[in-house]
Parts: sequence; structure tokens; C-alpha cells
Amino acid sequence: MEGSLAYHRIACIVFGLGVSLLGCSKSDPTLPDQVDFNYHIRPILSNSCYVCHGPDISTREADLRLDTYAGATAKRPGGRAIVPGNAKRSILIHRVQEDDPEQRMPPPQINKVLTEHEIALISKWIDQGAQYKTHWALIPPQKSEGPRSIDDLLQERIAAKGITPANPASRASLIRRASYVLTGLPPSPDAVQAFEQDESPNAYARVVDSLLASAAYGERWARHWMDLVRYSESKGHEFDFTIQGAWQYRDYLIRAFNEDVPYNQFVLEHLAGDVLEQPRRNPDDGFNESVIGTAYFALGEGKHSPVDTRIDEADRIDNIIDVTTKTFQGLTVACARCHDHKFDPIPTRDYYSLYGIVESARFTPVPILSDDYLEVVGDLVDLNQTLRSDIASRWQSSLGTTLAVPASRVIPRPPATQDTTGAREVLGDFRSGTLSGWIADGIAFDNAPLYGTPLIEEEHFLRLTEGVASSRQISEGLPGALRSPTFTLGHDSITVMAKGYKSALRLVIDNFQLIRAPIHGALDQELSSDTLTPHRFDVSLWKGHKAYLELLAGTYNKNRFVTDQHMLIVHDSSYFEIAYALAHNDAGFDLPRQERSEAALEPAIRAWAAEKASIAQIAAINQALESGEFQHPQIHEPIRRKQQIKQLLPPAELFIGMTEGDRVTSAVFGRGNHKTPDGEPVPHRFLTALDSTSTPFIETSSGRLEFAQAIVKPSNPLTARVMVNRLWHHAFGRGIVETVDNFGAQGSLPTHPELLDDLALRFVESGWSVKSILREILLSDAFQRSSEPPAGILELDPSNLLLSHYPVRRLEAEAIRDGILATSGQLNPTMYGPPVPIHLTEFMKGRGRPAVNGPLDGEGRRSLYIAIRRNFLSPMMLSFDMPIPFSTFGARNSSNVPAQSLTMLNDIFIAEQARHWGELLIKQPHVDIKERIEHIYLKAFARLPEPDELEEAQSFFNTEAEELGLGPEDTMYSVDIWSAYCHVIFNQKEFIYLI
Amino acid sequence: MSGPHRLTCRMTRREMLTMCRNGFGGVALLGLMGSSAFGNMVAQVAPSGTNPLHPKPGGLIPKARSIIFLYMDGGVSQVDSFDPKPRLAKENGENPYDKFSVDATQFNSIGKILQSPWDFQRYGESGIEVSDLFPHVGQCVDDLAVVRSMVADFPEHTNANYFLHTGIGIQGRPSMGAWINYGLGSENQDLPGYVVLDGGLIPPGGLDNFNSGFLPAAYQGSIFRAGDMPLPNIEPQEPTSDLQRRKLNLMSRTDKHLLGRIGHSDHVESAITNYELAYRMQASVPELTDLSGESEATRKLYGMDSPDPNTRIYATECLLARRLVERGVRFIELTCPNVAADRWDQHSNLKEGHELNAHAVDQPIAGLIRDLKGRGLFEDTLVIWAGEFGRTPFAQGTNGRDHNPSAFSIWLAGAGIKGGTVYGATDEYGYRVIDKETTIHDLHATMLYLLGLEHEYLTYRFSGRDIRLTDVGGRVIQGILS
Repeated sequence: MEGSLAYHRIACIVFGLGVSLLGCSKSDPTLPDQVDFNYHIRPILSNSCYVCHGPDISTREADLRLDTYAGATAKRPGGRAIVPGNAKRSILIHRVQEDDPEQRMPPPQINKVLTEHEIALISKWIDQGAQYKTHWALIPPQKSEGPRSIDDLLQERIAAKGITPANPASRASLIRRASYVLTGLPPSPDAVQAFEQDESPNAYARVVDSLLASAAYGERWARHWMDLVRYSESKGHEFDFTIQGAWQYRDYLIRAFNEDVPYNQFVLEHLAGDVLEQPRRNPDDGFNESVIGTAYFALGEGKHSPVDTRIDEADRIDNIIDVTTKTFQGLTVACARCHDHKFDPIPTRDYYSLYGIVESARFTPVPILSDDYLEVVGDLVDLNQTLRSDIASRWQSSLGTTLAVPASRVIPRPPATQDTTGAREVLGDFRSGTLSGWIADGIAFDNAPLYGTPLIEEEHFLRLTEGVASSRQISEGLPGALRSPTFTLGHDSITVMAKGYKSALRLVIDNFQLIRAPIHGALDQELSSDTLTPHRFDVSLWKGHKAYLELLAGTYNKNRFVTDQHMLIVHDSSYFEIAYALAHNDAGFDLPRQERSEAALEPAIRAWAAEKASIAQIAAINQALESGEFQHPQIHEPIRRKQQIKQLLPPAELFIGMTEGDRVTSAVFGRGNHKTPDGEPVPHRFLTALDSTSTPFIETSSGRLEFAQAIVKPSNPLTARVMVNRLWHHAFGRGIVETVDNFGAQGSLPTHPELLDDLALRFVESGWSVKSILREILLSDAFQRSSEPPAGILELDPSNLLLSHYPVRRLEAEAIRDGILATSGQLNPTMYGPPVPIHLTEFMKGRGRPAVNGPLDGEGRRSLYIAIRRNFLSPMMLSFDMPIPFSTFGARNSSNVPAQSLTMLNDIFIAEQARHWGELLIKQPHVDIKERIEHIYLKAFARLPEPDELEEAQSFFNTEAEELGLGPEDTMYSVDIWSAYCHVIFNQKEFIYLI
Repeated sequence: MSGPHRLTCRMTRREMLTMCRNGFGGVALLGLMGSSAFGNMVAQVAPSGTNPLHPKPGGLIPKARSIIFLYMDGGVSQVDSFDPKPRLAKENGENPYDKFSVDATQFNSIGKILQSPWDFQRYGESGIEVSDLFPHVGQCVDDLAVVRSMVADFPEHTNANYFLHTGIGIQGRPSMGAWINYGLGSENQDLPGYVVLDGGLIPPGGLDNFNSGFLPAAYQGSIFRAGDMPLPNIEPQEPTSDLQRRKLNLMSRTDKHLLGRIGHSDHVESAITNYELAYRMQASVPELTDLSGESEATRKLYGMDSPDPNTRIYATECLLARRLVERGVRFIELTCPNVAADRWDQHSNLKEGHELNAHAVDQPIAGLIRDLKGRGLFEDTLVIWAGEFGRTPFAQGTNGRDHNPSAFSIWLAGAGIKGGTVYGATDEYGYRVIDKETTIHDLHATMLYLLGLEHEYLTYRFSGRDIRLTDVGGRVIQGILS
């Protein structure tokens, strides 16, 4: 790729050898010898010029673009903007130096001024030939020369600056640091002491390995990941509806990080876990893990009654595109919704290609089916089979004695999809025994034929099912869905001939899922009839919209003001059957019964026993039953057994994930408005900036799998870089690229490009093992350095970009709270499961307020298990910068405000935890205050107190004892005093800072 | 993500100067801070220690020091308040489809043309018409600039609320109060710079209407409630204040040891300073909410003696708003009391619901305007009365009105505002704007302008973009400025 060879060389010039940066040109000592487009020029042009002279044609001024060599050097009436090799003749240089403010570029309304240094850089770059280069992040990572460790690459630069790096951190500091970074919890006093006493050379490596192997590791890194995918358990908006089973995804993350699932697999599971050929199974329970990854699509906001469902859909998909491209690629593709990206080579066509991919997929309730569950279903299938053979053999034997004449019966013929008048359109017809292009989903349809099931009511065999698609081939109560292809609403009505019980028949318009009153309530009808009944939808409001029909075993809970609104519940007795569906204008919804067909009984029975009977054969058997040729078999016993087995079905938890719809492509929306589509629909393909040779996906449906595969292709320049940079960010508090979610032109440049590339390549070589990269980072000298800044650092590297010492930083909201619980002895180690309801203060009000107020201490569970409801977020978490879940937040804010002090000082939760700790302490057999304080320090700070700290504490105890009139003995047993002291400990800055 | 706040939050002046002096190089700076930092007006004036709420000049000459935002949750009907439409009475009960093209509405239950149940009176020298819902505010009409040509982008509450509060109709963006504190800091370090007085109703969309979005948490709105503990965690847990002081002393000594061990750290140093601020806030909030020093006349002026408990609630909010203005708090929003009628959102029973709501707020608002004037605060304070959208001129069902984002009325008063003004106009039904269409972004631009901030320059780098409260729109509403 263009410019790739020069990439590292230049990076060294810029970042490696400060001397060369500072002193090489005689005219201007601050200019580099060789000016580089990526590192010097693009940041200036992107920031100051590209808004009007960049990739976006819609806002381009004077028909001049400066983001390409051809554009910048094109012949123009007034002269070329850039004349390579000659800055003096380049109009650009003249325009940025104009005296007249009206003439000077950038113009005043842009609110940017080029500094003299920037102008000098551009001039020198032009004089040197104005070489353009591909943006650094789009060039695949390059291997550095020779095997070099993290420390080799950091040390080179530190030494070049003449900095002596900080000494190694104390063991106490180190274990606390490693423990918080890897698990989000403080080390136990035992672990601290064991480490202090371990003299073996690999003592620290053992600590790191045991932390990586601990269950708490997965909890910590799951929470980091949750920041990226705007994790929430509710949909926000007016009533804050629950996102069903969101917590299953949280648990999936914990397990995935703990098992170190290869990152490429993890990515595939997120984007296309429902269509992987070999889904990953949970090692303990056997359920499909991969499909749970797709839940991240569904974690966005949801509105209950949008007046325009297409705008609503566009907003949802935009959010998905935003989160997906930032999270996995470090690109802000959502900027290209209304216009070509202003800074990066991302045209709107790429946006709408991805839009079509997301639009083609459908949200669906996915059951989590354990081995136990599948075993019971297997038993049911077996029993059905036995029953079938049994009945078949009885019929066979009765055939010997009765007539063996061919039976005949009217069966439907496949209808024309549209009649000649256009007054109606058949959307699906199941009477002839095919799925009619509809998509069946879920265990209810697994490998089962559509018809021919013994229809049993009240333990009596009635006949065989015929002419319907049924969700109870195996049994009632199994989760499943049947969905039509996407069609355009062109008639006033839709009628579905269906029956069922405790099941839903829904018309999903523009992928809008939260179907409820006031506008859309009638689009979700409950099936509650044991005979085929016409179900009519009035769709005259939505003509021209795209839609699909959906039948679901189970019903959505519609209670408006409870927390669990809009959750699908599959009842024991839920099932549905559908004969046909059509769109029509007049009132007529009958499809004609059709032609006669004949089938011989004997082969029909054999075929039926083998589950291979044709619709005509089933009809023949039913006719024989009706006419009395066959006995209705007495099968009470097997039916009872079936009921007993069904009782053994464990509950199948549901979560909202993705399933394939049919392929939908979208045109570009002019200015982002769906009402003004611009040109032909865009085919599905990968981002052209990352794969310029890519051709449109050849796919059967949505293209999600192909998109995912393009992301994890080893030649993708961003995937591995973005992820290792995230790991680095969490280890050091700042990424090698500081803008962790934006590797585009407006993002920051890497401080150590070679290191980033080496780590990215090693990540892929390691089989995409997150743990192996984290291990390498944590075992580096850089991670193990003291946080005390070396002398002179304020002049040489004031922001510690070179990592000569470990950067001090505040712990995240969750780590603070979890640390308090761990220290006070109240941490409840229970993992996984439904969220603990959020504790609601009187300040947390409004619609959708959860019906249950959670306990103040969250049952002592780690913070990631406390309910995250968009409209009722934890005030403590927010004040310590937990992100509001609306977009990707790879790097949290780290603000520092009095509200945080007030929380630590006065919040009842903190005071209560100090009290718990105090109560524990006075029961412990410490001989004196000193011994107890040492214990406290070990627990809270992983170290022993300094002599003057002891002294100050002692004097605090003296004063407090005096206030309360207590003697030295009594002081050891005073909960009040010890709680007060523990409260002080929580409020010491060392408690909430990583040092 | 990087943003100009790096200068204010993460880098001290000392670091900043050091960095510039040693010429680490423009490139490194770009990489460190996001390259717009120096082009950005806010960033240029910001570096003054690590306190993000330190006051900062805005750039323009400010007319207003504070804003009181009277949020009318649910959407007041324009044709029943400040935009009289006699034609509705003439055509009452007729079919709206015969008159004009009707947009889809949220409940899609389009009824007949519905005349206003209230008469309108002309008030003051300006003679502006105000309905009988607002007899007290009507008396102040010469101080108001009524904008009759507002439009919103969304017909649903939550989007419309986010749009009104944050300039974007989705969750997660910084609220206007947060933007203003980000731009200007606060003049009172002992109180939050952005206060929401909770009258009982938190609007749809929840507390995120008042949040700081991607701006640092320092800028988020603090919710004050009526009662003993107006602000969370403002009350010490210790049995005596001496004990808290002794604990703080011990903390402060041990924190100094920490600084000794790790060398200097701006983060830790400012965290220590914050405890002193927090300690002072514990005293200043109770002092703020203690109304015992207010005279009987003042209390009456606001309606604190009203037999209507909701009037009393809103009166207390208005009085607190004045006290917050006196103390230099930048942005104060009042939410409505919970009258029995579900906010101003009268999908049915318009008459009863609007009357209950209006009665709760009318006298307190007039009292607030008069009190501000009497104390010389009116010239420095911008008072804004607005809901998230208007209502339809035709009925929903028989006696309600549905949401109408295509036209609604708001008013502004106080600092920099030309009183007695009517701006813009709607069609004869009050259904759509026909003259001087004014957007929420225009309102925001005007608010910022009056505070001395140019809305196009108040930006924050998020997701690689310099994002504004006014997104890509906004013009100052010149016609209402004095």
C-alpha cells in the first residue's frame, strides 16, 4: 500500500528522536528534517481544511479538495493549490497567509487559525514534494526489525530523551495495581503477604497468572466491554421497557473473557453468532454460546410509539452502525449518514451498504437451550416417533382386512401469488405443505415436517394435522417463530388464517419491535382459538412501508407500568398454526380450496411413519379416519407419558438476539432523510477504505457473516490494533492511540506506532488471545514502575507519554464500589444471573420507575450485577463517570468534582459499609490499635502504615476515646470509633486512586 | 475521545506552560489533545487550574448572568394560551380534513376542530392577548417576548424532551445547562452550577434530560427536591459536625503523606481540594433552602399562601430560583408539580387538565418576574417559559388535543429581551407556522448569545467531531432582543 514503507521510519523521526524534531533545519529549528503527511500534515488539513475541502462533496467549496494529491495539485484558474516542490508558487500557502481576514484561509466562520509553525510545516512538506500517504491506521501493521519487547520499544524513546525511568514499584503497590487492573478488586491481605514473602524470581508472574485465572477477571473485562456496546437492561424513552435477557449477554461476556475465547471468534459471535456453522457450546450446560453475542445489537434505545417508524428504524440502525464500527474498527462510520465522512475515506454508500446489512437482520427472542432441555425435547421426539410407528402398524394391520382402494380428497394447489386485479396478494400459503418462503426459527421447528402430526385433544386422537405450518410438531410450549419474507404494504388489510393458544401474531413494520398502543397496538394480536380463524390487520396507515409477519410461540407481557413490560413469555400451552396469509383491499380473505389429488393408503402410512408423507398422503389418511376405514387409536398411555416428560422441560430463558431475515438493500438517503432516497439500492459489501478491492458480498441473506469475516480477516489493518490498544488503555489509563474509539484522521496519532503494530501482530499470532497480550503488558517493566515521576520529567515529558513512570489515576466507579465491599467484608461473590434491582432514592423518579426498589448495598454484589436501567442509572456510578449507555465509550471521562467528595463523605451506602467493617474489626483479636490499623492498611491499601500515619491514627483514637469517655481497652471494642476510622480510610485518596 | 476539556480538567496551567515552552511540538500536542483545542474559543480561555467549574468569560458581551428555565412538561396548547385563533370557534366541530392536510399524530385519533375553552384578554400597553388560563402572567405581558412560531422536530415526548434539553432527539447528549456551565463555569463554587428544582415531575426521558452526556460529570444538573434533604449526600452522617471535621483533618494529613510518596499529582491534589469545596457546600445548601428570612409580602407575591397545594409547590420553586440567581447559579430549571392531570399532556379533558396546571404555575411565575424586577435581578436574568411541543387545533377524541410539533408558543423575559413583543405567526388554526419559523436550535443560540457565548464556537470534541448544542443549526432570534 502506498506509503507503507516510510511509515515506521517517519514515526521514529517524529516520536523517537526528539532531537531530530527539535534541531535540524537552520531556518526553523522546530521543523523536522523530513515532513511526513501522516504525522505532520494530515492532522492540520483534517482539522482546519477538510470541512470544506475534504472527502465530502456536499460541502465542498470552490471545487477544491485537499485530501487527495490529484485534487490538491489540479490545475485551477488562479493556479494550483499545491505545486509539489514549490511552496512559493502554491496558492494554498498564499491563502493561509493573506493579510485580509476575508481572504485568509481558513475563513473566519470556521473558527480555526493556522499557526506559523503549521504553515511552516506545510511549506516544507510542499517543498519536499508534497507526498500524500494513506492514513497510517489503514496500512496493515508492520513487523518491527528484530524481536523487540514492549520494554525495548519504550526504553529506546525514554533513553533518547535522556530520562531515567522510575524505579520498580514496591511489591505492595504492584500487587494492588495488578489486582485492580485485572480483576477490579483489591488483593486480599493474604495474597499481599504471600507476595511480599515470595522470593522466587517469578513471584510476580505467578501473581499475574493467578489474577488472570480468577473468576473476577472476567467480571472486570466484561464491564470494560459493556462500555463499548452501550450496555443497558432497559430501552429508555418514556417507559423504560426492559430489554429481555440483556443480562444473559453480560454473563456471556464474563464467561468469554474468563475462557479467553479467541477475539476473532468473539467478534464473529457478536456480528453473526446466529449463523455460525459450528457455534460454540457452553462446556457445562451445552447451550449455544455464540448466538448470545448477537444480543449487543439489541442493547440500544427503544421507543414505544414512534409516529414515523422509518425514522425510528433509521435511528436504531444508525446507533448500531455507530457502536459496531467504533467498537470493532475504531472508525466513526455513523458520520457518513447524511454526507460523505468529512475526514475519513468513508462515503455515504459505505454507510448505506452497512445499513442494508443491519436492515436485513431481524430481532428475535432467542431461547437458551441447555443439554438438559434438548434431552427432554429428544425424548419427546422419540416418543412421538414411537407413537407414530405404533399407530402406523395398527393401521397397516387393519388395512389387510379393509379395502385397499385409493382414497381421494381435495387438497390445495399452490396459488398464484397475485390475482390479476391486484386486489389481493398471497403472502404465504402453507396448505400445500411447504414453508412458502417463510423462515422458521427455533426448536419448535427443528427438523420437523409441517404437517402430519397426530392432533390430540383431551387425550383423544382426532386426526393428522394438515394444511398448516405448526409450532407443535414436537409439543406445545416449545419456543419458535415463523416469519414471512419482507414485503411492501400495498393493500388496506392483511388477513392471516391462523389458530393457536397463548401465542402472538405480529405485523412488524420497518423492523419496529416494541409494538404497543396507542398507535401500533393492533399490530400484535394474541392467538386464542383452536380453529383456524381469520385475523385481520388494518394497515392502511402504513402503505408503502416494508413489513413482515411474525408468529411467535408465547405472548408479550403488556402491563404498562411494571418493570417486566414487553417480555415474551412462552407458556406451557403456547403454540400456533397458520394456513395462509394475504394482503387485500376488499373484505374477501378466503383462498379457494383446490384440486383433487389421490394417494394410495398403504404407501401413505409407510411414508407417514417415516415422516415423509406428502400432503396428499396425509389427506388420504385423514379421509380414511373420517370415513371410519381406520380406527382412532387408543393412545392414552403414551399421551400421558408425553405430558410427564414435558413437565421435565427446564425453563428456557429468552434474550433478544438476531436472526436472519431476507436480503434488504437500502439506497443512500439524501441528507440522511429516508424520504429522499438517492439512486439505486447499495449492495452489501465491506468498507471500501479497508478493502478497496472488495466486491459486493455474495450472500444468501443479511451479509452479517460476510461483514464479520471481513473484520477478522488478518489483513484488516484495524481489528487487532484497536483491540490491543484497548487493553493497553486499561493497563495504563491511556491508549497508545489515545482516542481509543477513533483511529481516523480526527483521532490522535499513536505515541508508539511500532509497539502498537508489534502487539497487534503478536495478538493475531497468539490466536487472538486477550490474556496473552495482557500478560505481556502486565509483565513489562513499564507496568511495574513506581508512579513517582523521575527528576526533570515536567520539562522532558510532562504528560508522561513515554511512560517513564506509572501514571496515577482514579479508579472507575465500579472498582471504587466493589473495592469498598471487598474491604468491608461485605462483597457477595455470587456470579451471574438476573440483575439486582437498582436502589431508588427519592431523587430517582419518573415514568418507568422500577416496581421493585433494590437494596441499598445491592446485596453486596459486584457493580456489574446491579440493574442498569437507562432512565434510572445509579447516581454514584454516574458521579464517578460511568458512561450513559448511548454510544461506544472506550475511554471514560475521569472527572474530579466535589459531588464525588460528597458521595464518599455522606452517602449512606459508604457510611453503612464503614459500619459493617467496624463491626467486623472489633470482633477480631488484635492486641492493640497498632496491630488493627496494620490489618486495615493491608486490606485497604495492600501495605503497612508508615510510622507517622500510625501516629496520626493513634492520636485520632485518643481524641475520639476522650470524646466518648472511653478507656484504651474500651476503644478496641467501640464500633463507633472504628467505623468512623474506616470511613476515613474509604475517604483517603489512596483508596480510590491506582498508584 | 479527546476534547478541549483536557485543558481544563487534566492539565494544570503549569503543565500547559511547560509543554508550550519546551516545544514538545505541535504534533505531539495535536496527538494529545485533539487538534481543535487551540482553535477553540473555550479552550483558549479555560486553563485556570483543575476546577472545571471555574468561571470563564464567554467571548461576547453578556446580557444575562443566569437563566431560569420554566419547563412546561407535556406540551402546553398554544391556541389555549398565547396564540388566540378565533377561527377555531367559528368552525368548532367541523372536520379538519376538510380544512387542511392533517399530519399523523401520536395517538392517531383525529377528532373535530376544537375551539378554545378559554377567552383571551388584551393586557398591558402592548395589548398582547393572553388566555384566561394565565391572569397573573397576563399582567406581566409587557415584560414578555412571546414567540408564536416555534417548531420542534419530534412528536413524541421523550425525543422532544431530549431535543429541547440537549439539541438532539436521542439520549446521551449534554443538556443545555451542562453546555452553559462548560462554556462559562460557575460564579458560585459552593453550589452546583446547574440546578434542577424538582416540583414533582421528572419529564419522560428521565434524568438524562439534565445530564452532562459526553461532557465531564462536573457539568450535570443537580436535582433539588423540596424537603429536609434537598440535594443527595448534602447532609453529614456524623452525629456531630465536630466529628466530621476531625475526620476531615485526619484525611487531609494522611493524604499529604500520599502526595509525599508519589510526588506531585494534579489529580490527587484537586481531589483533596474538592473535599474542602464539598464541606462548604454542606453549609451553603441548607442556607439556600432556608426560606425563613423571606418576608410575608414576598411569600404572598409568589402564592405560597395559596389554597392550591400545587401552587404552593411551584411558588417555592420560583422563590428558590430567585435565591439561586442571587447566588450566581448559572442555569436553573423548574419542573412542574404533579397535578392530577398528567402534566400538560391533555390527550383528553383539556379544560380540566390545563386549568389545574395553569393554576399551579401562573401566580408563582408572575411573582417571580415581579420579585426579580423589584430586586434589580431582572436585567441579569433570562426567564424562559417553554414546553417540548404544542398541541393540535383539532380534538383528540372529543375533548383533548394531541401532540403538535409544527407550531407552539413560548415566551422569554428579562436580560436582553424586548418586552411586549410578539414574534412570528401561525396559520388561522394555529396548526402550522407561517411566519418566522423558529427552532429549538434558534432558542438555544439565543440563550447562549445572551450569556455571551457564540453558539457556533461552543464545541466539544466527541467521536471525532466538534459537537455543538445547536448541532448544525441555530440563529439568534434577533427580533426579540432589546
